[in-house]
Amino acid sequence: MSEQIDRLIKKEYAAGFITDIVSDTLPPGLDEDVVAFISGKKNEPEWMLEWRLKALRSWREMVEPHWAHVTYPDIDFDAISYYSAPKSSSDGPKSLDDIDPELRSTYDKLGIPLHEQEMLSGVAVDAVFDSVSVATTFRHKLKEAGVIFCSISEAMHECPEIVRAHLGSVVPQKDNYYAALNSAVFSDGSFVYIPKGVKCPMELSTYFRINEAKTGQFERTLIVADEGSEVSYLEGCTAPMRDENQLHAAVVELVALDNAKIKYSTVQNWYPGDSEGKGGIYNFVTKRGVAHTNARISWTQVETGSAITMKYPSCVLKGDNSVGEFYSVALSNNYQQADTGTKMIHLGKNTRSTIISKGISAGHGSNSYRGLVRMNPGATGARNYTQCDSLLIGDQCGAHTFPYIESKNPSAVIEHEATTSKVSDEQLFLCQQRGLDAEKAVSMIVNGFCKEVFRELPMEFAVEAGKLLEVSLEGAVG
Amino acid sequence: MPDFIASALERAPTANPDWLDDLQAAGRQTWAASAMPTRKTEAWKYTSLARLERGAYLQPPAPATPTPANLKQHFSIEGLDAATLVFVNGSFNPDLSSDALPDGIEMVRFAEANESQAEAIRAKLGQVVDGRQHLFAALNDAWLADGLFLRVRRNTRVDTPVHCVFLTTAQDQPFSLSARLLVVLEDSSEATIIEHFCSDDLPQNAFTNSVTELVLGANAKLQHYRLQREQEQAVHIGGVHASLGRDSTLNSFHLGMGSTLKRVDVVVNHHGEGAHCDLSGVYLPRHQQHVDYHTCIEHAVPRCTTTETFRGIIADEARAVFNGRIHIHPNAQKTVAELSNRNLLTSTRAQVDTKPELEIYADDVQCAHGATVARLDEQAMNYLQSRGIGTRQAEVMLSFGFINELVERLPDEAMVEFLRPQLASLFGRQSLVTGRPE
Repeated sequence: MSEQIDRLIKKEYAAGFITDIVSDTLPPGLDEDVVAFISGKKNEPEWMLEWRLKALRSWREMVEPHWAHVTYPDIDFDAISYYSAPKSSSDGPKSLDDIDPELRSTYDKLGIPLHEQEMLSGVAVDAVFDSVSVATTFRHKLKEAGVIFCSISEAMHECPEIVRAHLGSVVPQKDNYYAALNSAVFSDGSFVYIPKGVKCPMELSTYFRINEAKTGQFERTLIVADEGSEVSYLEGCTAPMRDENQLHAAVVELVALDNAKIKYSTVQNWYPGDSEGKGGIYNFVTKRGVAHTNARISWTQVETGSAITMKYPSCVLKGDNSVGEFYSVALSNNYQQADTGTKMIHLGKNTRSTIISKGISAGHGSNSYRGLVRMNPGATGARNYTQCDSLLIGDQCGAHTFPYIESKNPSAVIEHEATTSKVSDEQLFLCQQRGLDAEKAVSMIVNGFCKEVFRELPMEFAVEAGKLLEVSLEGAVG
Repeated sequence: MPDFIASALERAPTANPDWLDDLQAAGRQTWAASAMPTRKTEAWKYTSLARLERGAYLQPPAPATPTPANLKQHFSIEGLDAATLVFVNGSFNPDLSSDALPDGIEMVRFAEANESQAEAIRAKLGQVVDGRQHLFAALNDAWLADGLFLRVRRNTRVDTPVHCVFLTTAQDQPFSLSARLLVVLEDSSEATIIEHFCSDDLPQNAFTNSVTELVLGANAKLQHYRLQREQEQAVHIGGVHASLGRDSTLNSFHLGMGSTLKRVDVVVNHHGEGAHCDLSGVYLPRHQQHVDYHTCIEHAVPRCTTTETFRGIIADEARAVFNGRIHIHPNAQKTVAELSNRNLLTSTRAQVDTKPELEIYADDVQCAHGATVARLDEQAMNYLQSRGIGTRQAEVMLSFGFINELVERLPDEAMVEFLRPQLASLFGRQSLVTGRPE
């Protein structure tokens, strides 16, 4: 079996390829001019430039966080280029046919041909290639429903009042080191607005790709669900193979006003580095949502990629009866390190939160769950249930759990459970005895382990997630 | 406010035997190089040392005066046939202590150790605790004047418990002291040790900084109790650091009552294969007390097991902090470790912060932890009420039962009998169980 394992562990990153497109890239370094350049490039209003500069100034005064259970060489922020846009974007594609053929074939290789998606799956795709949106489909269909789904730079011109009211309201510029950096230099991202009482007619999806070498990606996503509305948003990521580490510091803000529902799903499969731990993406993301009265925010994530992940999608349960959910599968193989989890901040009465986290460690991987559940004095009758399970595959990996539980209200009920175990020889034996090979057996056990999370994913993603796990892990059993 | 680190070094050093000089100097050095913890220090995130810094504790206790006659009532455990060793304000008190120790156990005070004893003490003292990680242990070294060394020889079983009492009395001006206990159980020996921190009933102005080191040889078995029953104004920072040899067993029970600020670090190092540790504890802060238990179990070798259970009832405006870390090192295969921490909040202004941590670097292990925070179970309350038990009585029954479950498990009947009425009397207080004023 060990040969098989070696073969599978050494399997090349299936989505690793580089697309040759001439890019419009800034020289490395960061100062006020760079921020002004980015802002000017986007033709942004004056207030936006000021907002960015304020963020830059705060960032300069902040120190890089080192509390996470990950180790990586220091990042030279002056060696990063803060803007990169595909050349062809200046003309602006009018339809899918206008898209750079090479870009199109990139998506084809990833299995998301836009034109097919338009016809078959009914999913609108806002494809972000590096930092600029180059194609937004289904815009008109969404428009009929009153839904605005566009890049955030477009939104600044089309509906500046909504952007201005909500941008930074959930993740302020000074929130943390990487959020401040993002606020200063974010190049683009998605914007969604669902009007009052509207249920978004289709699932919205963005595919992010990091492409240009040495380019940090700084996405900014803002989703505003007005009173009584509903939206499901899908974010999927793959990145080409690179030798150098690439920094990705995105910010996602969700605003769920009274009675609104937002479901945010992510499949993340960025380049994890090679089997020696060389290269790979640094994924330092700030994701947070505010749920107003009776609102519901649900985060679902399948994290299989990136060399280093620090990511804590959070819910601020501000309104009474609001609900926060977090479902996560995080996998770290080879030398990948993930420090991920969630924060549930209960402010309103009868707020409820559920955390289901499944960590899988294989090879030399290190996987940490870090979560915070806080019951503030006003969170009367609030409820939290947390379950973190870790699965260990191989004796060189690590699985860690760091849950912070803070309660200031006696009527709040918090339950936390965590277990760690390995794929047992008995389980494997049982499966093999019934005619499954070792690979299939492990795959089955892992899939069963993750089932609670996968069933929260939209259909298309569930399939992809299962496939991803198979590619990343199958046979890595020792 | 003057820097606590510097002021603590200036506190007049207490006279100590020469052979402790090295340890004292090393402690001073480590302490001087440390920074005072702040909210940003992970291990002190939820515990502020302001009460300690404000308290002007930085002078040694006043010289011993004739022992007040009635001190015995504060520590005697009825029905417990034990050998008692009493320190009053850091000084050994022969009047209150038992004359003779049970056979098989050797007791030496650091201040009285002869050359060979000093050698034995030096070989172990400070070996289990790491002052760089526990800065108050470094401070304990720095102030070290006297301590207690208990040794049980190979293949010896000591049936009579040893009751070590560290008592403080109110003095004219605030003071600080280092309490130190070193217990060595040689291979295949067995003993019961009770550490008992208590005080008289007057408002205390003592800061006790205690360090206990437990060294268990192969097959050794130690039943350990650490009772904290100080008056409410006391400040206590303490640590219990244990090293477990092959197939040894440590059963350790902790009671946290009293003290305005209490921080206890319990560190258990599994150094020999097949060692077992059963750690349990209850903490019952009330009024504005702050209690912080930090436990850390280091599984460094294969086939060791740990069971850890801590429960707390937090009343009034009190705050409890619990941090339970289980660290499984890369070759600690076949480890089985479990941790449970349950908390009841009984007042709208009570707070709890709990963090059960698992850090695992081996794959063939079974680890689990659980933590809950809630108030009394409504269904259980309904059940009792439906059977004609009044609300108030039902609350007392359930609160007491919550804690008593751990107390009942204790092997020494006298300890159970001693603790039970004390806990029961706590729950008899209206405010503790309901949050309503008395």
